[in-house]
This record gives sequence, C-alpha cells and structure tokens, in this order.
Amino acid sequence: MDATTAPHHIPPEMPQYGEDYHIFEMMQNMLEQLLIHQPEDPISFMITHLRRNNDNVPKVVILGPPASGKTTIAMWLCKHLNSNLITKESLLEREFSRLSLEAKNYYQVYKKIPNSILVGLVQERLNEDDCLRKGWILDGIPERREQALMIQTLGLAPKHVIVLNAPDTVLIERNVGKRIDPVTGEIYHTTFDWPPEPEIQNRLIQPEGISEIETAKKLLEYHRHIIRILPSYPKILKTISSDQPCVDVFYQALTYVQSGHRCNAPFTPKVLLCGPLGSGKKLQATLLAQKYGLVNISCGQLLKEAMAAKSSFGELIQPFFEKRMTVPDNIITKVLADRMEQQDCIQKGWVLHGFPRDLDQARMLNSMGYNPNRVFFLSVPLDSILERLTLRRTDPVTGERFHLMYKPPPTIEVQARLLQNPKDSEEYIKLQTDLFYRNSGDLEQYYDRAIIVNGDQDPYTVFEYIESGIINPLPRKVT
Amino acid sequence: MEPVADRELQAKLYLEKHQIMELLSQLTSFLLFARPKKPREYVISLLERLRVAKATHVAFPYFMDNSNIVSMFEMMDTAGRGCISFVQYKEALKNLGLCAADEVLNDDGHVITLDTFRDEVNKRMEKMWSMF
Repeated sequence: MDATTAPHHIPPEMPQYGEDYHIFEMMQNMLEQLLIHQPEDPISFMITHLRRNNDNVPKVVILGPPASGKTTIAMWLCKHLNSNLITKESLLEREFSRLSLEAKNYYQVYKKIPNSILVGLVQERLNEDDCLRKGWILDGIPERREQALMIQTLGLAPKHVIVLNAPDTVLIERNVGKRIDPVTGEIYHTTFDWPPEPEIQNRLIQPEGISEIETAKKLLEYHRHIIRILPSYPKILKTISSDQPCVDVFYQALTYVQSGHRCNAPFTPKVLLCGPLGSGKKLQATLLAQKYGLVNISCGQLLKEAMAAKSSFGELIQPFFEKRMTVPDNIITKVLADRMEQQDCIQKGWVLHGFPRDLDQARMLNSMGYNPNRVFFLSVPLDSILERLTLRRTDPVTGERFHLMYKPPPTIEVQARLLQNPKDSEEYIKLQTDLFYRNSGDLEQYYDRAIIVNGDQDPYTVFEYIESGIINPLPRKVT
Repeated sequence: MEPVADRELQAKLYLEKHQIMELLSQLTSFLLFARPKKPREYVISLLERLRVAKATHVAFPYFMDNSNIVSMFEMMDTAGRGCISFVQYKEALKNLGLCAADEVLNDDGHVITLDTFRDEVNKRMEKMWSMF
C-alpha cells in the first residue's frame, strides 16, 4: 500500500473544528437559500447571504383557537427574542403597499381576504429588511391549508410551529372576560390578568365579538381549518396546552423556540456521565457503547486493566490499590490520555464515566484536549441509591450476582449462602455519596451546558433521555 | 402551481449548471484546512477572490500549490525513479477530486512524470474553478 491506496486518516482537528463552528449547518443553510432563490449569479448571492448572517433568527408560527392567548404569547416572544410580530391586522395596516390597500378594500366589503392576497402580503412583509435581519413571528397565519402550502412554495418556511390548545368550554368562558388596552394593544382579562395600574384599568375597552355564541361560532370554524393545517408541518410542530397559567405557556414556548432541530451534521459523540455511586453510570455507558459503537471508558476499569497487564502504569498504581488510597490525579490522567489518543477513540467517539470527580480533574481533562461535547448528570436520591446497592448479593458458589428486590435468587438454599460485598455497606455508600455531592456543585458550574437527567427511573427510560440529549443539538440557554 | 417533480428537476439543473455542489465542497475543504477563527469572513473572502478572478481571469485560489504537488508526487514515487504508474496517477487524481470515479483516462503506455502530473493537475483545477 502506498500513499494513494492507504485509508485516509482525517486529522481530528478537522471534525472538531466543523463541530465547534457549525460549518455543516452554515453550508446547509446557504445551499437551501440557493435552491429557493436560484440566482443567476450565485457567488454574489452567497456573499450577501453570508454577510447577513441570519441563520439563527427566529422564524415562528403561532396558531390557536380564539381566546387561547396566542397574541399575548406572540407579543411576549417578540419582545424577548427581539423579533418582528406579524398579524393579519398589521398586514392590512401597512403603508406604501398596493396589495395592502386592495386587501383592506376587499375586507371592508366581504369581511374576509382572499388567500392569494394574504399570502402575497406575507411574502412582501417577510422579504423586508428587518424581517430578514431579526426574524419573524406569525400570529394566526396561515388560517387555511391552502395558505400554508402557498407560503411554503414561496420558500418561506418557519423553523418552529406552536399550536395552543385548550378545551372549548374553557375558551368560551375565557373570552367573555377579554379586555383590550387601546393604547398599547395588550390584552388583559377581568379574572386572570388584571392590570395593576388604575390608569390602564380605566381605559380598557371590551372588544367586539366576545359573547359566548360568537366565540362558539369562531371555534367551530377554527377546528374545521386547523385539522388540515397541522399535517403541513410534521417535524416542527409542538402543541402546548394553554389551559395553564400564562407564564408557564410562555416558558414552554420559549424553550421550544430556542431549541434546534436534529440536523445531519457529522457528529462524534464525546459523552461524559457524572453521578453518585449507584446512579447507573456504568449501565448507561454500556448501553450507549453497544448501540452507537462508542468506546466505553470506565476510569476504574482502565486502572484495573493497567494493573492486570502489569504495565509500567500498573506498577505505579498497585501500591495505591493495595493500601486502598485514591490514585493520584497525574497517574490517572496519563492512563486516560493513553487510552483516549488511540485511533478507535478518536474515530468512534467515547463515553467516559468515573472521572472527573472534582473541578481540578475536570480542568485537567480540558487541558489534555479531550473536552466532552455532551455532559449528563444522573441525579438519584440517596434512598434509591441505598435501595439499589445495599440489596446486592453475590452467590459464592456460582459467582452469580443477585439483587434482593430486582433480581431475587431462585431458591431458598441459594439465598441462604448469599454474601454481601463490603463495598455495598451503608456507611461506605453514604461516605461516597457525600464525597460526590461535595464536588458536584463545582462540576455543574464548570460544565454549564450539562443536562440533568432523573436517574431514579427504569434504565431504558433513562437511556432514552440520554439518547435524545445526545442526538438533538444542545439547547440555547433560556434567560 | 407547477407540479412538484418539475420544480425538483429545475433545482437539479440549476445545481449542475452552476456547479454549486463542487463549489461548496471546495469551500468546505479550504475551511477545514485553514480553520480560521471567523469562518464566515474567511468564506466571504474566498468568494470575493473568486469573483475578482472570474472577472479578470487571473490567479484562482488554488488549494494545492506547486510544492504540494511535488510532495504528493514524491510520496507516490517511492523508488525515486522520477515517474509513477498509471494506476497511482488515476488514484491521485481521484483523491484530489479532480476526476470522477468512472472517468476513463488515456493510458498511452508512457509513464507519468512529475511534469505531466503537475500539468494535468493544474489544467483540471483551472477547468473546475472557471466553471464556478
């Protein structure tokens, strides 16, 4: 084999760079825009697109029945994300637009707007400079499936679609108490959302069309149409129940809008599992390694293997093990570095558990250049840990391991001879857990984008949570 | 509304006409090799150089300059004879992305010297970049 036929080894800096700077997403977005607009001069178009740098602006559609709180949520999202709010009313009121004037005249006569004009208005508005720069939030548009399809064929696709949902009776009752502030346009409610300042209270007016009968009619129409719109947005839809306090709905909507969708970028998972003794790290690591072909690096295992192989490291470690003292950090880091710089780790990715245990070790891991790109903290309450570990037993004759609750021994005679490992005693476990919690605060601060998983569930549920944490892009922090 | 298959075909033709996929592939290669701290600015600068070069027919931003071609040749020519076999030549062109996997190259029986190799690489690079 010579240089041309030997397999290519891509230096690991390249995929790492691609991941850190989101190169794949950048190129994918550029290609999307090229295909939508198909400009005659692609190079100038690409230069303009890159300069604009608007890959991450919000593009949200909010749909929902009347009185679900759509407009309130849309306004709050707008303020929070510093984006543009677009409603049917705002489109009709636009100045300097021939289409808008036409639409207004039509509306005055027939009380509705034809689909093509509305879509044309939307297209005009979304192609304006401020929408391109800061993104947009559409409130209540599209109202019909035809509109949704037309908007899509024009190449204007939302990134997130939120549908608010609540039982009809709740909505009808809610709508009766609706009040609008004519100055700011904000919506208040006589029971749920009464403004504190008396000047606002005095100028609130009752909007038209909020009686029970009218709301019921509007709801009928809404249900007829929404059922056909929902299939147009299969992967980006999220339904939020609006039968809860406003702030909860808003928080859910905000977290959703700030989370990315699963993307095809090449990604080598480098997972770190942290958690106290008995939280299930080893089990989850094995499951992950099995399913995704990652290299399972267990710190304790590595040290034991080094000792068994009687390597140079093994001889250094042996005295510490014999005296039951913790192995010093620099030896551990050397053993780890040795393992992690091997080709299969770099190529396939790894799952690390059992290290780092405190802030210094975390910093050392970082300085070695092996920073994990997903960190999970498995949180399990002490009682569950005790239950999981103190009931472990081993059969000295067959060597099989049992658990008095989850995997009981088959016969009484087996049970009679079971022994418990001294490491599973209550005092030892409590000691180790205390040690972990003393350091975990620092670790959580250091790995600020870590995901905290509830480890107190059956292993496959926990595994699914961890999987979704790895596969989906890391959510941006909600401020 | 035009049928969907029509628009898909239109999009495919557009991509082929302007060689978009090859251009993006080359840009990504440049980017991963150089690894600048500001990838957008870097790609913008590459595209501007390309735009200027197209207008003035001068100095395309080549990925591999002369010294790289020489080193690559020397890597393949392990015996130091000054020429490489046809199979090696074809593999090298494939690795550089300069010829399609099933393109039939003329094996005229002569061994490939450094000059032939260099000329062929340059010629193909120029052809590729002029199409963008």
